[in-house]
Amino acid sequence: MKRIVLAALLLLAVPARAEDLVSGISQDIIQITSNYTGTNIVVFGAIEQAQNPQGRNIVVVVRGPDEPMTVRRRDRIAGVWINNDAAKFEGLPAYYYLASTEPISRIAPPQVLARYGIGLQSLTPSAIGSHHDPEPFRQAVIRYHRRVGLYAESPGSIDFLSETLFRTRVPVPAGVTRGQYNVEVYLIRDGEVVSAQSTPLFVDATGLERRVFNSAHDSPLPYGLACVFMSMLLGWISYVLFRRPE
Amino acid sequence: MEIYLPVAEMSVNWLILIALGTGVGFLSGMFGVGGGFLMTPLLVFTGIPSTVAVATTLSHVTASSMSGALAQWRKRAIDFTMAGVMLVGGIGGTLFGVWLFALMRRQGQMDLIVALTYVLMLGSIGTIMLRESLAALKAYRSGATATRRPVNRGWIQALPLKMRFRQSRLYISVLPPIAIGFVVGTLSAIMGIGGGFIVVPAMIYVLRMPTKVVMGTSLVQIIAVTAITTVLQATNNYAVDIVLALLLVSGGVVGAQLGVRAGAKLRGEQLRLLLALLVLTVAAGLLWQLIVRPADLYSLSEAAP
Repeated sequence: MKRIVLAALLLLAVPARAEDLVSGISQDIIQITSNYTGTNIVVFGAIEQAQNPQGRNIVVVVRGPDEPMTVRRRDRIAGVWINNDAAKFEGLPAYYYLASTEPISRIAPPQVLARYGIGLQSLTPSAIGSHHDPEPFRQAVIRYHRRVGLYAESPGSIDFLSETLFRTRVPVPAGVTRGQYNVEVYLIRDGEVVSAQSTPLFVDATGLERRVFNSAHDSPLPYGLACVFMSMLLGWISYVLFRRPE
Repeated sequence: MEIYLPVAEMSVNWLILIALGTGVGFLSGMFGVGGGFLMTPLLVFTGIPSTVAVATTLSHVTASSMSGALAQWRKRAIDFTMAGVMLVGGIGGTLFGVWLFALMRRQGQMDLIVALTYVLMLGSIGTIMLRESLAALKAYRSGATATRRPVNRGWIQALPLKMRFRQSRLYISVLPPIAIGFVVGTLSAIMGIGGGFIVVPAMIYVLRMPTKVVMGTSLVQIIAVTAITTVLQATNNYAVDIVLALLLVSGGVVGAQLGVRAGAKLRGEQLRLLLALLVLTVAAGLLWQLIVRPADLYSLSEAAP
């Protein structure tokens, strides 16, 4: 009897569509204001046509805009540490955050992770300018960004609110670059990506901060003169305020 | 307590920056130097990108020098003729320095050259000042009247194009002041400093100006050089952060006023001894960083040259 029920259930399940994913983010724009000290966004989602939770994993990747980077290695020459060798990279993100249900090495084989750019070790530059093996330089990029909190991998940080409903909190630190970010959510079953969804996220300055940044770049001469004028004015004001009457 | 700096693109504690401005401003008012050689390394230490630190420190130097210069002007302790002649060389030096800056950046060795220049300049000037001020203090203690100004002889007197500098009570060629101005302008563009720690000793030991007018005159020269370099940094590198400048300047001008008062209570030799010790401390710290194995041999610069 049990076997018949199981078989019937299987028959019902087979014509049903495969597991799918819907996801969203708590805000699709991050405004940088004068008191911006970093924030969190919440990435949430639901699994549709959910099947056996065994062997199913969720990975959330937030990737910032690509930035050209130059890495230099110091060597000791004549007793002084000198920048001796350099490598230039393009196509590496300024920000990368990964949240997953399990450590990613247990979620999928390396070639799958590499194909989808999942995990810090899968970050590959699109262009390399180097005379030697670029790998230690690439590792230095990852090490540097991890140290300042701009790259992070956080396994086990996805909370399931129910069997199919999940969410995770993504920290966006103070040092982030302006530009377009991408929030990618992957549903991985038995080492294969079953479903994926991508949502853009914008980080931009507003109000005064934006105006200052724009004028520094668009009209640098008046901006520079304004800086000089402000400095001289404040110097003069302080002199007048502190002058002892004689 | 955090504030976002729009050009540096980062958040910092504004109280720390105001305190930093006040402290460095105090020293600059006391010694008649701009304080850039202290401010730039300190800002980099708080995590501000070095390009922004170099470019924005100049505003702080302009403001505290302005405040200090007005105080000196009131005491009639400025030789404007001398400052004007030095500025002729200063403008040329600044333009040359900006060109050199771009050249060094392409070679990828800017950090090293800046650090070595700092160590060499600060180390040699600090040592000379230390020896001189100790000798002067010793002479003062033993009862000799150390106020006698050494008479200038030798190659400087032999140069042509002589001019009278009334405030400094000097009759010398314009070439040494122009050359000093040029060197300082160049260093200002490369190192992000006003150059007071070079101008002040150069005025005392090369031009033999009286200590009384050295402070005010060097401040006027510094204001002009830093103002020009700020504009050049803003137009060439987009690296001047006006919010950071406002914070540093607000603290700096108050500190500078307090520093001028503290400086008036000390003898010239004592001031020079203290400045020498300060300069040597910074030089030793920078040398230490060059010699000690860095924690990470790899360093990253995000802006591709």
